[in-house]
Amino acid sequence: MSSRKKVLLKVIILGDSGVGKTSLMNQFVNKKFSNQYKATIGADFLTKEVIVDDRIVTMQIWDTAGQERFQSLGVAFYRGADCCVLVFDVTAPNTFKSLESWRDEFLIQASPRDPDNFPFVILGNKVDLDNRAVSAKRAQQWCQSKNDIPYFETSAKEAVNVELAFQTIARNALAQETEAELYNEFPDQIKLNANDNNRNRDGDNCAC
Amino acid sequence: MSITEMNPDPTSEQKDRLIAAVKKEVKQLMEEAVTRKFVHEESGGVTALCGAVEACLGQGLRRRALGLFKTSSTTALLHKIAKHCPEAALVSARVLSAEGAPATRSASGVERRPSAPRPPLNKRGSGSLLASQPPPTSRYLWIRIALFERQLAKIIEHLVNNATRYYERDALVADPDYGSILSSLLVGPCALEYSKAKAPACFWTDPPADELVQRHRMSAGTTTPPSVRRPILNFRRSLNASSDDNATVNAGSVNAAGSTAKDYVESLHQNSRATLLYGKNNVKVQPKDVEEPMPGYLSLHQTAAGLVIKWTPNQLMNGYAESEGIDKSIYWAMSLQVCVWEVVYVHVHRSQVSDALILVGQDGVQRPPIHFPKGGHLLSFLSNLETGLLPHGQLDPPLWSQRGTGKVFGKNKVRRRPMPSLCESGEAEEPEFDEVAGDYVFRIVNNAIADREAMRHSLLERVIQSPPRTPRRTLASTSTTSSDSSTMSVDCPPIIGNLNPPPTIHQAVEQAASIELVCSTMRRQIISRAFYGWLAYCRHLSTVRTHLSGLVNPNIIPREDAERGLTEEMWRSMMDETGAIADKDEVYRLVYYGGIQHDIRKEVWPFLLGYYEFNTTFQERQEQDCSYRRQYETTMSEWLCVEAIVRQKDREATAASIARLSESSGKPKPEIEPCEVFEDDCSVISDNPPVVSPEPSENEQKKEVKPILSRAPSIDEIDNLELDEERKENGVKVNGETDTCEDISYDQDDDDDEVCIKSVVENPDLRRESIAEIKRLAEGIVQKGDGRGLLCSVDSANANLNGNDNKSIEEIQPPQPSQNHSHSVIVTNPSVDLAVTGGSPASGGTTAPASPARSPLGVLREESHSAGASFDTLDPESRPDNRSNCVSPASSNGGVYSNELVESFALNLHRIEKDVQRCDRNYPFFTDENLDKLRNIMCTYVWEHLEIGYMQGMCDLAAPLLVIMKDEAVAHALFARLMYRAKDNFPSGQAMDAHFADMRSLIQILDCELYELMHAHGDYTHFYFCYRWFLLDFKRELLYQDVFSAWEFIWVARYVASEHMVLFIALALLETYRDVILANSMDFTDIIKFFNEMAERHDASAVLSLARDLVLQVQTLIENK
Repeated sequence: MSSRKKVLLKVIILGDSGVGKTSLMNQFVNKKFSNQYKATIGADFLTKEVIVDDRIVTMQIWDTAGQERFQSLGVAFYRGADCCVLVFDVTAPNTFKSLESWRDEFLIQASPRDPDNFPFVILGNKVDLDNRAVSAKRAQQWCQSKNDIPYFETSAKEAVNVELAFQTIARNALAQETEAELYNEFPDQIKLNANDNNRNRDGDNCAC
Repeated sequence: MSITEMNPDPTSEQKDRLIAAVKKEVKQLMEEAVTRKFVHEESGGVTALCGAVEACLGQGLRRRALGLFKTSSTTALLHKIAKHCPEAALVSARVLSAEGAPATRSASGVERRPSAPRPPLNKRGSGSLLASQPPPTSRYLWIRIALFERQLAKIIEHLVNNATRYYERDALVADPDYGSILSSLLVGPCALEYSKAKAPACFWTDPPADELVQRHRMSAGTTTPPSVRRPILNFRRSLNASSDDNATVNAGSVNAAGSTAKDYVESLHQNSRATLLYGKNNVKVQPKDVEEPMPGYLSLHQTAAGLVIKWTPNQLMNGYAESEGIDKSIYWAMSLQVCVWEVVYVHVHRSQVSDALILVGQDGVQRPPIHFPKGGHLLSFLSNLETGLLPHGQLDPPLWSQRGTGKVFGKNKVRRRPMPSLCESGEAEEPEFDEVAGDYVFRIVNNAIADREAMRHSLLERVIQSPPRTPRRTLASTSTTSSDSSTMSVDCPPIIGNLNPPPTIHQAVEQAASIELVCSTMRRQIISRAFYGWLAYCRHLSTVRTHLSGLVNPNIIPREDAERGLTEEMWRSMMDETGAIADKDEVYRLVYYGGIQHDIRKEVWPFLLGYYEFNTTFQERQEQDCSYRRQYETTMSEWLCVEAIVRQKDREATAASIARLSESSGKPKPEIEPCEVFEDDCSVISDNPPVVSPEPSENEQKKEVKPILSRAPSIDEIDNLELDEERKENGVKVNGETDTCEDISYDQDDDDDEVCIKSVVENPDLRRESIAEIKRLAEGIVQKGDGRGLLCSVDSANANLNGNDNKSIEEIQPPQPSQNHSHSVIVTNPSVDLAVTGGSPASGGTTAPASPARSPLGVLREESHSAGASFDTLDPESRPDNRSNCVSPASSNGGVYSNELVESFALNLHRIEKDVQRCDRNYPFFTDENLDKLRNIMCTYVWEHLEIGYMQGMCDLAAPLLVIMKDEAVAHALFARLMYRAKDNFPSGQAMDAHFADMRSLIQILDCELYELMHAHGDYTHFYFCYRWFLLDFKRELLYQDVFSAWEFIWVARYVASEHMVLFIALALLETYRDVILANSMDFTDIIKFFNEMAERHDASAVLSLARDLVLQVQTLIENK
């Protein structure tokens, strides 16, 4: 992997409306929080260069509309995604509940090569608020049941864990990308390889 | 590896690589600096450059001799040379101070350097290495600092000059060339500005939209609107296609006189003017005056003027640069350059030794034979020649015999086979070649030239033979005389030119002829282009007609002095004394061309959206307002009631989830189980009633209390009656606003256990408060009665509340999940209800008055009809009493609203609240009070259209209406009108796809250059970047002031110019930035980003006027057919 070609990682942020997708993205990219965001219509994205494991990668983070009705638009945007970030609001149980359907919908629409091992990251946002209604434990349990998806509790407002979460997102997306490259070169060996990588990766994430 | 480590043995190849890496990083960094004006210190480019420099410096370093055993030996080196080099001393000091705790910088140089001749960044390190790595900023620390301090180049120069002291002899730095290259490379980066600022821009890889626009402005000098520069129609595509071969006519026999030898040889290769079809070296030709055949390079070129065969002696090919002394003119004389069109016959002689090819010119003179080496070269030359002749010429007989008629020029190679006899493995000969075995003659048939020659050169003797096939007449020429195509054989001096031919009379004639030939070729091309242009235009117009005629109105309405728009003065003057407006078209026209003066928007908008008819009087409009308001409030009281239920359920759900949260064990309580908030699809409104406060008598109590919300009848006749009366009572206000007050009465009917919440129209100023009051009371009701059932009924016009009837209704409905309400349960079907409430004044209702007077409710209603105003209004004092006494309904389940209905409304309600809260928070108008209004408008609309539901974006559409109208009910009316059209844009409708398709056609027709760019990127003809534009009518793209003008513009455009004005505004936006888009060759994502960043920064008036122009363009285009 010595090639210096620019790596572009496409990251999609999904989740119910009002959970803080736009805020998270802006906190990560622009390091600022505003309470002036409007409901996202259509889609927007921001890019940021990050260094992951010695490589400079460009993250292209797509922010989408939260209402599930707008998912039909998603296909165009989901295509070629390297990682999918599912966000819920820890004060709103139903946003947690719908993670499942966001995940399924994403897998259907983006149809990644290896759906079982496609990197997801779950963010429980708004931990700065008092009226919490979804326990970390519960969220973690769910994540574990879904092939050990990494879980972070974040606050876009107070920049809690945002950097860390996106670092993980970038790393997992990069791993995905790398696998894809290998896949192309040695179609036969890959399966094994991919699984190994995944196991390692998941292990790492647990530590996070 | 270890050997390399201890004993660097750099080959020059390795040095090359190192230097190349530095070069590349420098280049990238400089580019970054140019495009961004500064480079961020933490940019990846800086790190990469430092890595590359470090690798160079580390290579061949005499570590041991210098006693450099520190982890980063280049850093140690720096400190070492600090004594001798002032720059290094400065940097060294900075490094020491920056380092702070030296222990932390463990691993930058040494471990990686020896094995890393390439920049370390390239390396994917092993996990352990990564783990111990310091953050990137502190890596290559001294190089970074030296770079930012602009000392790096000097330090390296010092190192290079004193290389012998620090480096092995074969080290890169010690190498005189590489060393100086390295230091000079770094001069550039050292001159850059480095910034630490964490401005958002520096995190972006791509330049922000602003920058793009600005750069474009700088480069373009002036900001001419693109429409001025471009013609309406643009045939660049077709012109482009032919402009390539437009370059120079490289006519075979006349050119090359002045070209130098080098140019000549270069011309043998593929270049912009000629395509190399075939090339073969060591093809022998025996020129005149030479005994032995000489080897040379044979090539076949396709130029604009036709095919040219060239043969160049090897002497010219190989050594034009060396041996200046030798006179090469003889070789130039020997070289051949033959224009194929001047060749008539191609003779092929095949023998055991070689294949010879002889070209016979029009004059019958033979060229020297060309001897091909054995091995199919001749065949491949011929086949290339044949291919090159197409489409205007051909070999006769064809080299490749064809099966299947009608495919004379077909490119279908599957059906062809080479003539067997020509193949090396020659089989049976084709009968038509009745020559000696191994010898063939092909004739070169040139349809086009033959015709022309036949006409022009009458001085030449011609033998015209009838053509073997009919040519492609339509394509060959547009001249009418070319009915026949022909070949000819002419007695004429050789046209085939040597490079320095001695001028003879023959050749002069010959040259004149070929110049004429060239001219005529050009003439023909011009004509054919004109023809194709015309053809394209026709096609184009037909596209225009099929795709675009529906987009614009056929008749062009002139602009004349409408620039000022609709001013207040004009508006007043257009109304007659009753307030009616006769000339609505003029209103439309004025607004279209000039907008509306802001002060009168409030008055005019209801007309533009069709809420008021133009021919109505003040009075009528006022009545309309009143009745609408009443209707609005009625609808509101309905959903407010449901909202109360929703709130209660929410509270229960929250309580449950918090309870659950606090129970760390996570063991679900048995009672809560059915309403598991996390598992339930719509958790807040669970299907089953969450039993929060289990009371034994719950069910019984539920049976007892049934609050019923009654609603004033929504029927015009009555309303009008009411209005009339009311007007008499209250006096008429000019602006048509009759203020109303709604009061709430609680009436406990003991017999039926019903609580009625009635909305009553009464008193001017209290209306708003009263709505809030309803809400409060409704909530109060819900809150109070923990264990009781809340039954709300909406009486649609003729609902009958008799117990029996209710039972029968209940039977029809699916059984309620768990409760047994024995009677009086009305499950209102929302759509039925909608039909009535939503029914505008037109849906006249006659049923209501007929409703049975026996039921208590009926009585109440009758009363309300006749009184036309309030009744049963309880004194404020008595209210608390009532509240405590009566009501109480409560816990969540059931009631007259089906669970489904409640759930679906709850879902919408939550969404609405989420979006209303964050709608235009930055706009001062939206105080809490006004946000409340917005919420009410949303809820009312959604309540009336539950089948559509709330969709994100609706808030944005309603907000500007509310800002202008101020009044909630009227704003709602306008919003409902607006949604007629807009709802199709939402995902449930089809309009968005249609818009995209139309955009595509429009761009294709109005700006094909842009279209091609989009087409080239393939993906984004989907036009997703327009999605928000169309969904919100540009509300998010423009500032509020501009949104007003854009919207009224869109509304009136349907009467003036185009029903799809949004398309043209979108197109105008796109056109405004077309040059930026083209210059940066933006793809799908770039454009999305660009326009998202440009939101609210467009020059709206310019865009709108461009949009008008574009409509006009299309209109003219269609009219001109």
